[in-house]
Amino acid sequence: MKSIRVMAIAVLVLTAVAILAAGRLAPAGYEHQFRETPQVAPSTHHPLGTDDLGRDRWARLLYGMRVSLTLAPLAALSTTILAGLIGGIAGYFGGWTERCCKLLIDLFLSVPWLFLLITVRAVLPLNISPEASVTVTFALLGLLGWAASARVICSGAKDLMKSEFVWMARASGFSGMKLVRLHLLPNLRGALLAQFWISIPVFIIAEANLGALGLGVAEPLPSLGSLLRELQEAVTLRPEPWRLLPLGVLIVVISSFQVLLKKQEVRV
Amino acid sequence: MLRFCGWAALRVVAIMLLASFTGAMLMRIAPGFSSDEQELNSGLSVQSIQAIRQARLSDANVPRFYAQYLASLVRGDLGTSRSLNQPVKDLLRERLPVTLANLAFALAVGWLLGFSLAVAAQVWNVRVLTFLGNALSGTFISTPAAALALVFLLLRWPPAFAAALLLFPKIYRYTQNLLQQSSEMAHVLTARAKGAGPWRVLAWHVAPIALPQLIALVGVSISIGIGVLLPIEVVSDVAGIGQLAWHAAQSRDLPLLVNLTMVVTFVTVCATLISDAAQRGLTRSAA
Amino acid sequence: MKRLYLLAAILFLGSISVLAQGGGELRFCLRSEPKTFNPLLVEDEASETIRYLTGGVLVRVNRATLKAEPDLAISWKVSEGGKRIRFKLRNGLKYSDGTPFSSADVAYTMQQLMDPALHSSTGDAFRSADGKLITRVISPAEIEIDFPAPVANLVNLFDTVAILSAKSPQKEMAALGPFYVAERKAGSYLLLKRNPYYWKKDAAGKQLPYLDSIRLDIEQNPEIEALRFKRGEVHLINTVSPAIFEKLSADNAFVRDAGASTDTEQLWFNQVPGSPIAGYKKAWFTSTNFRRAVSESINRGDLARIVFRGHAVPAIGIISPSNKFWFNTSLKPHPYDTSSALRRLQQDGFRLVGDTLRDRAGNAVEFSIATNAGNRARESMATMIQQDLKKIGIKVNVVTLDFNSLLERMTQTYNYEACLLGFQNVELDPNSQMAVWLSSADNHQWNPNQKVPATPWEAEIDKLMREQAASGDERKRKQDWDRVQQIAWEQEPFIYLVNKDALVAIAPAVKNAEPSVFRPQTFWNVEMLALAR
Repeated sequence: MKSIRVMAIAVLVLTAVAILAAGRLAPAGYEHQFRETPQVAPSTHHPLGTDDLGRDRWARLLYGMRVSLTLAPLAALSTTILAGLIGGIAGYFGGWTERCCKLLIDLFLSVPWLFLLITVRAVLPLNISPEASVTVTFALLGLLGWAASARVICSGAKDLMKSEFVWMARASGFSGMKLVRLHLLPNLRGALLAQFWISIPVFIIAEANLGALGLGVAEPLPSLGSLLRELQEAVTLRPEPWRLLPLGVLIVVISSFQVLLKKQEVRV
Repeated sequence: MLRFCGWAALRVVAIMLLASFTGAMLMRIAPGFSSDEQELNSGLSVQSIQAIRQARLSDANVPRFYAQYLASLVRGDLGTSRSLNQPVKDLLRERLPVTLANLAFALAVGWLLGFSLAVAAQVWNVRVLTFLGNALSGTFISTPAAALALVFLLLRWPPAFAAALLLFPKIYRYTQNLLQQSSEMAHVLTARAKGAGPWRVLAWHVAPIALPQLIALVGVSISIGIGVLLPIEVVSDVAGIGQLAWHAAQSRDLPLLVNLTMVVTFVTVCATLISDAAQRGLTRSAA
Repeated sequence: MKRLYLLAAILFLGSISVLAQGGGELRFCLRSEPKTFNPLLVEDEASETIRYLTGGVLVRVNRATLKAEPDLAISWKVSEGGKRIRFKLRNGLKYSDGTPFSSADVAYTMQQLMDPALHSSTGDAFRSADGKLITRVISPAEIEIDFPAPVANLVNLFDTVAILSAKSPQKEMAALGPFYVAERKAGSYLLLKRNPYYWKKDAAGKQLPYLDSIRLDIEQNPEIEALRFKRGEVHLINTVSPAIFEKLSADNAFVRDAGASTDTEQLWFNQVPGSPIAGYKKAWFTSTNFRRAVSESINRGDLARIVFRGHAVPAIGIISPSNKFWFNTSLKPHPYDTSSALRRLQQDGFRLVGDTLRDRAGNAVEFSIATNAGNRARESMATMIQQDLKKIGIKVNVVTLDFNSLLERMTQTYNYEACLLGFQNVELDPNSQMAVWLSSADNHQWNPNQKVPATPWEAEIDKLMREQAASGDERKRKQDWDRVQQIAWEQEPFIYLVNKDALVAIAPAVKNAEPSVFRPQTFWNVEMLALAR
């Protein structure tokens, strides 16, 4: 198992290097159209071939990873903070507060938030850059994705509030912020970290799914999601297996994140 | 028990009403609510285009629409889909069984794979099995539902099987974790030390502890199953409620969306309640 | 030896043709569920397909010859300068449920169709002026219809009017066409069966249609449709994308490029005076030089070659060259010439500063092109235009919006700068585009609902459009339309990009198919289609 963890770390380090050095590793800009050579197979000039418009797939993959793997952790951070706050409050206070928070969680899990995405996407200024537009999409995912994590944090906080050491701390006069700071947060750190790591692939996948539905990143900027949209041309899959590479990269990178997660941190 | 059921029913109804109303409001404020593709039909006269716009605006006042909707709902009328021109009741009657059948298949296969692999890895403690389970769950937890659905289309495999594979990692990982934790408890270790075989330990000592949490997992897996099945239905063109929901969103079909939100919320919240009740049962029995 | 092979081939083909005429079930897909079965209310493509397959019409336009041919009517006569039409009908016809057909049914259908409260686009096409329609049933086999004003393209318009039964208990489900709707599973499929009372016979006297039934599967995803075609599960695809076409041809599947279609893809700038966009941008967009410079900077050849993989031709104007009668042959495609584009821009005070084009006031030229999300071809065209215009220093932002959001911006808030969309031109007669070219119309996209024409050239188009609509003389109408095309070519309110080819797929088992560039491309002669066993 240790070797797998080492491999996972190696994959993530390589990915980080590739993302940072995209400008040097790519043979051309991600938007450059080689119009005389659209849809060509991998070659020395284009290691992964070119897409329908003649853009270098390798360059687009590198820059696409940069977009997805930079913004997804930021969205995961905001989700974890929100989940920690709402789940923590519910677990700490219990009773009616917990019931209300759980109601809010259920409501958040049930509402069709797709319309909010459509609305925000449509009210953005028309000349906003693709980078800003995809940042807004990830920010929204981060703001809306906290509910499932909050349920886990609530459950963890509730268990902690019933634990002996918290009873003893209370008996010793600890309360309010002091109790939260000294006892709850340190003991919830593992669960919060787990939720953070779990959320990263969830958001990359969510953006990929949004991309497949036409609500992803704007042209010509690539993201892992927009690259996966090419899979929609399913009939062309068999003779051009290199089209599957973005999917392979996504699976390998996220699996590496998963390997690094301690299995004990997987909760319902 | 009766009190719990009463509260639970109240919670379900409250969330269904709130979620569907919020969904309706979101659709109303989303751009394009009062637009119709037909407006671009150059064959239509000015009067006809005006009539189309007026018809779209008849639902513009969401509180009024919602009040009328609830009044009709009491009479068993779910309204008529604006875009498909059919009673929503008929649409749900035709499509809900498709989604439920796919959900049942996905749950059955997902559980069969996830649970049996976790149990096998626990009982036989073979590294190959654990590696296989971890590798498979790692792969499928990292795969976008839409992408997997496309690959399945190509392979001519049933879309519900894609949903099952996406459910599998959650079931496998949680079950494996649960069995591991339970088997490290003092009385289980004692039983093992006394020479009880792995199957006997599992059946008599581990299962009673893990059962309530596994029931909780059933509830959660239902809501996860719905979540993965909806995009799969859209990509694979399965005539279920996922496809219908995407159609309702694209065509801003308010009556259809409100009803679909109700249905999805009902299933999701009921699943959560099962999970909560199972966990509550566990806490009581532990006490 | 060669003769022997030839003989064998003839015998083989002959046997296929005999076997082919023995029924069978044709299968193809609809992209969505039909919204209505009422042929008078048809607006969507799926309902249109059902209407075509089940509806009996007085006149049918042959998609190969483009001539109107007798169908339920044996003959017709237009008089009063296009205000009156008299039809002589076939005797002894019956609907699919056995209800007899007569001129009373035609009168009933026309009265229903022209009811203003129905808001039918089929009916609106006949509505050239206010006033009542008068129908006179002369005999069970003869009817006369008077319109309040002359109707352009009157005879061909009857190709879309499926005659309802006034008496049948099945109402609109009673069919006079070759098939009737026998079974339906919402969201899944429709089954049409052969109409036992269909009137048409083949040259040998055998009753048509040859097919026993047609199964229409509802399949929204064209990729799945193509996969199913490859697997032999469906026999026809009416519209194949260029990418799928290439793939299917590489796999030796039976696909055909029927040539340039009448559909157009175009880009236009928002010229609405009250739109919420910056004043200096409005000044750019209303300048003919600016529009023509943008047009000349777009490499249409590349759009056709790359986005449509060679299955499109650079567009020239309003009417596709495939519409041979109405196309103005004196017009040529706009050249791809960035030097000429820069010269035009200089005339309007624009100048290149470094890599950026600036207007007279120093504003950098930047605008957004909005298009509908999910349409890969349009997204690709917008991205290519983005790169083309970069060469003359213009920064373009591509914005993809879901269709309803885009529609709201186009028709209600006018909050957009440029838009890239395509129009389907179902009718060959360009009079169907009246609502696009009249400056007072809703669909005059770049500046709709004008009280008074904003420019002299729009005033001239208005005058020409009204004249041609009121004229029964085809030559005069053609002259008017030639001039409209000339003005649109010079002013470019729409920058036409390409005319896509009509790409179809027809399984080898389907006999007698004669694909056309006009809808419904593959099954327009459905009664003659047969399946080889």
